[in-house]
Parts: sequence; C-alpha cells; structure tokens
Amino acid sequence: MSAVVAVPRPGAAVAETRWLSGWARKVLRMLVTTATVFLITSFGTYALGALSKTNPAAAVLGETATPADITRMNHQFGLDRPLVVQYATWLGHAFTGDLGTSYFTSIPVAASIRQALPVDLGITGLAALFAVLIGGTAGIAAALNGGGRLDRSVTAVCSVLSTIPGFVMGIVLIVVFSATLRILPAGGYVSFGTDPVQWFRCLLMPSFALSLTLAAHVARQLRTSLVATLRENYVVGATVRGLSRRRVLLRHALRNALGPALGILTVGVPALLSGSVPTERIFNLPGVALLTLQSSERHDIPVIQGTLLVTVTTVLVCNLVLGALLARFTPQARR
Amino acid sequence: MRTLRRALRLRSARLSAVVLAVVAVAAVFGHWLAPLDPLAQDSAHVLSGPSAGHLLGTDGIGRDVLSRLVAGTSSSIVATLEAVGTALLVGIVLGIGSLWLGRGYEWASLRFVDSLQTLPYVVFVVAVVGVLGNGLTQAMLAIGLLYSPIFFRVSRAASLALLRAQYVEAAELFGASRLWILRTHLWSKILPTIAVTAAQASAECLLAVQSLSFLGIGVQPPAPTWGGMLADDLSFLAQQPWAPFIPALTIMITVGALNAIADAISDSADLPVVDSSPTQPGSVQEVPDAAVAVR
Repeated sequence: MSAVVAVPRPGAAVAETRWLSGWARKVLRMLVTTATVFLITSFGTYALGALSKTNPAAAVLGETATPADITRMNHQFGLDRPLVVQYATWLGHAFTGDLGTSYFTSIPVAASIRQALPVDLGITGLAALFAVLIGGTAGIAAALNGGGRLDRSVTAVCSVLSTIPGFVMGIVLIVVFSATLRILPAGGYVSFGTDPVQWFRCLLMPSFALSLTLAAHVARQLRTSLVATLRENYVVGATVRGLSRRRVLLRHALRNALGPALGILTVGVPALLSGSVPTERIFNLPGVALLTLQSSERHDIPVIQGTLLVTVTTVLVCNLVLGALLARFTPQARR
Repeated sequence: MRTLRRALRLRSARLSAVVLAVVAVAAVFGHWLAPLDPLAQDSAHVLSGPSAGHLLGTDGIGRDVLSRLVAGTSSSIVATLEAVGTALLVGIVLGIGSLWLGRGYEWASLRFVDSLQTLPYVVFVVAVVGVLGNGLTQAMLAIGLLYSPIFFRVSRAASLALLRAQYVEAAELFGASRLWILRTHLWSKILPTIAVTAAQASAECLLAVQSLSFLGIGVQPPAPTWGGMLADDLSFLAQQPWAPFIPALTIMITVGALNAIADAISDSADLPVVDSSPTQPGSVQEVPDAAVAVR
C-alpha cells in the first residue's frame, strides 16, 4: 500500500493519486489502531492468567507435591519472572506459532487450535455468508416495498429474531430437521477434505442458526439506509432520466446504502464468535469455542489464553479487512 | 419523568410495563409463588405433559417446569441487573471522564473501549470464569465490562454536543466547577438517552445471561435458570420436543418487552441516534476530537 503512495504512477490522474493516498493513509491509521488494540487485549489476556488464584504447578502436581517441586515447576513454566517479561516472552513465542502446552494434556496449545480452527472458520464463514444473503435480500426487498405488507412483515420478523438467543434457533432446527424429519445430522463434524457434502450437511444447521440474529441486524440496517438513499435527489434524478429500476438500485442507491450495513458486520464478527460457543456445544462441533469452554471447565490456563488470543486476532483481522473495504467502497468514508 | 409518562401513553409500552412488572414480582417473590419446590424430583411423573398437578409438565428428572420457571426468574434478573449496573458505572465514568481529563486520557480510554469491543462476550466470560473460577459475580462483572463501551460512547457523544452549548461556556466563564455543570446542565439532558441505552442493554444482557446459564456459567445447576432449563431439555428432545419452547418463550417475551420500552422512550423523547460501534478511523461515525482539544 505505502509503495503505491510513495511512487504515484506516471500519467495517473491527479485526483486518483490523491484519492489513493487518502485511502492508504486511512488503512495505515487503522493498522496503528489495530496494533494498539492488539497489544492491549493480548496483555489483558495474559494478565488474566496471572490473576488466577490457583497455582498451575500445584494443580498439575497434585496434593502430594512438595514446595520444592512447585518452585521447580514454576521455574519450568517461567512463572517466577515479572509479569511484563512473561508477557513479552509469551507474545514473542506466539508469533512463532508456539502458545505453550496444556497443563493437563501436555498437548501443544497451537496444535489443538490448529486442529479446531477450521471448524470455526467453517461455521462463522457460512454464517456470515447466510447473514449477508438473507439479511441483504430481506433488507432490499423491504426497502423497495416501503411501507407495504412485505416491509412490515420483514420488520416484524426482525424484531422477533432479536429477542431470541441464537442458540435457541439451533434447538428448534434440531427438533424439526433431526428429531422429526431426520434429514440432517444433529451434531458432529466431518472435515471438508474428507467429505465436502457431509461437511456441508454437518455445518448447515449450526451456521444457519448462528446467522439469523446477524441477518436481522443487516436487514434492518440495510432497509433503513436504503429507504433514506432512495429518497435522495440523485436517485430520483436517475429514475427521471429513464435508467432502469435495476440499474438505479444496483449502481446508484445500493452502493451508497451499503456503508452502514457493512458497519453492522464489523460488530457482527464478535457476535458470531460469541454465539459459536453455545452453538458448538449444542451441535457438538470440535471448534475453538468448544475448546475454550472445555479448558475453562478444567481451568487449563495456557489453552484459555491461546484460544482467547486467536479469537481476538480473528476479530481484529476481520475488522481491518472490513474497515479497509468500507473506506474503499463507501463514498462517505472516502473523503 | 415527563418523557416516561409520554412513553407510557403508547399501548405497546403499557403492555411491556405490565410484562416487566409480572417478571419483577416473580423475581422478588418467586420462591414463595412457585407452586412446588423447583428442586424436588417427582419420580412418578417424569417427562409428563401439562396436568393439574404440574401445570406446565415436568422435566427429564421429574421437576415441575412452572416452579422452575418462576423460581428461575430472580437469578436471571439479578444477573442482568448486576451486568447492566457494572456497564453503566464503568461506561459513564470513563465516557464523561474522556471529555475532561485531557487528550492522553481520552486516547487511552478510546483504545481501551475499542479493545473491549473486539472481545466476543461469551468467549471472554468463559475465559474469565475458567481462570477466576465459576460464579455469578465474576461472570456478570465480565459481561458488564464488555457492555460498558455502549454506555461510554453514548454518554460521550451525548455530552460532547452539550458541552459545546453556549450556556455551558457561560457557566464555565462564571467559574462554575465541572461537577456543578455535570449536575445542573448535563445530567438531566443525557438521562433519557442513557435510559434508552440501559433498556436496550438490559435486553441484550438478558440474552447473554441466558447463553451463559445454558452453558452452566454464572448460576450453576441444579439452581433453576431459564437458560439452564433449555440445556436440560436438550437431552430429552426426542421424547419432549416442545419442552424448550416454554423457557424460550419466557425469554422472548421478557426481551421483547425491554426492547419495546426502549423504543417507546426513544420515540417519545425524540432522541438522536448514537452509533456505538467501534472506532473506524476515517468513517463518518468518529467523534471529532476538536471540541475536546479546545478546552
């Protein structure tokens, strides 16, 4: 990005160069904010472990451990050094792909996470896709129908959806499609590489259930901003000039109404990851969220810290990409 | 107060107020109102449908569903109030402080709030509980902390506009202290905004609390909770597929009532919409720093 800014293409229009550098500058500022936020959250994640009252060495060694054993174990885990030093070491190792080992299973944390991560990427990715497709279609349909029966029913469905905890939808789907109709598996996971069809069958219900709350938000937001945009003079002007309804919607209105809806997705990523904990519990999916839950029950601190770090990093990367897209494609943010 | 009275003129608001009153009564007197002991197991009537003895039937180990529903109200409400209270306190103190305590503090508090908003709340609470031990207080403080950014941004944005008003400037020129300005000029004007946000946050926190109690975090089984009842029903879906709908409907009605109250207050107070999503540099929602730089 910065290379483009430093050496403008010869012959490129002046306005374009300025716009490019403006966008690059914005992305650069986002990167700085993201890096700061990453440092704060990762330190918080590490410090959380230090707040723990249970001594990991004592927990691992059991009740028969002598104080000398515990001191040796503490030294082995590096728990006798100052917190900031421990944090720096931990983060440094994390960047090389080493997140320590579980206190209980002695399996490297990074290995467990690497095994579990595709599950989460699968369900949250599909859920985001469903949310955009369902929410987008419903929002556009409602806005075009402004005030009509379709508009009112979309609004009503959205209000109802926002009162249901996401996981309840999962239970409803299991009741209908697994317990009654017996056409979809009620749980379990098959990797994409093994059997793509079975993979999709396993992830269909969880990701659909997960997506609905977000889809309602997207629909509501898109409807509001699209209704406002459709009233703008340039849209009326384009219609008067005789452009087709489809062209006015796609090229003029939608592009300008998309910003707020994309903004909702920024908030939606943490919401999806949050919802994936009960969802993975219900559908018995071996993802990072379930790993966090299981290690939380065992007070397995290195695993908890590792999963939290990975989760936060996922959110930050998604927000950065969405923010960059937002700055690139929405005219309000481009200025 | 006037706003509240105007809001209650709406039919949806009155209905919601009645629902919330019923929930409040169940929360306070639930343990006396429950027809049967919510923990007692009636082994003769396991997984029975609604009957005269058990109005809403029994669950998988013969406990009375209605009694568990009524007795579980208080823990849901107490948990939600704890979380929203924490969020209110942390958010408003940090938010109003960010306008007065200088640019360094402002920058730090904005980044801190951004950091909180990157944390998925269930994952975070699960992690906190894993480290500090499972308990209602830990879980609710953690949730409250994660919901504080909403109050931070709302109180900050609402006060930012007010602080630029001429009468505030005049009061400052007359030598009024910041606390005096906060009490006299700011507080009454940002209160409706905060009330709406609090109602919305309560709805969201109530949902979050149900997700957590479903996972056995916060209030732990066998103590009755709505989310916990859903978790228990999950094992008996084949025999009693309709059972989860009872706690789910209770949650939906309560959350719906809170949302309706929030809408009614915000409609009748005619409040500006405040964006509470994380800071996106360059996007329109960023609050300009200029106003603060001047002071």
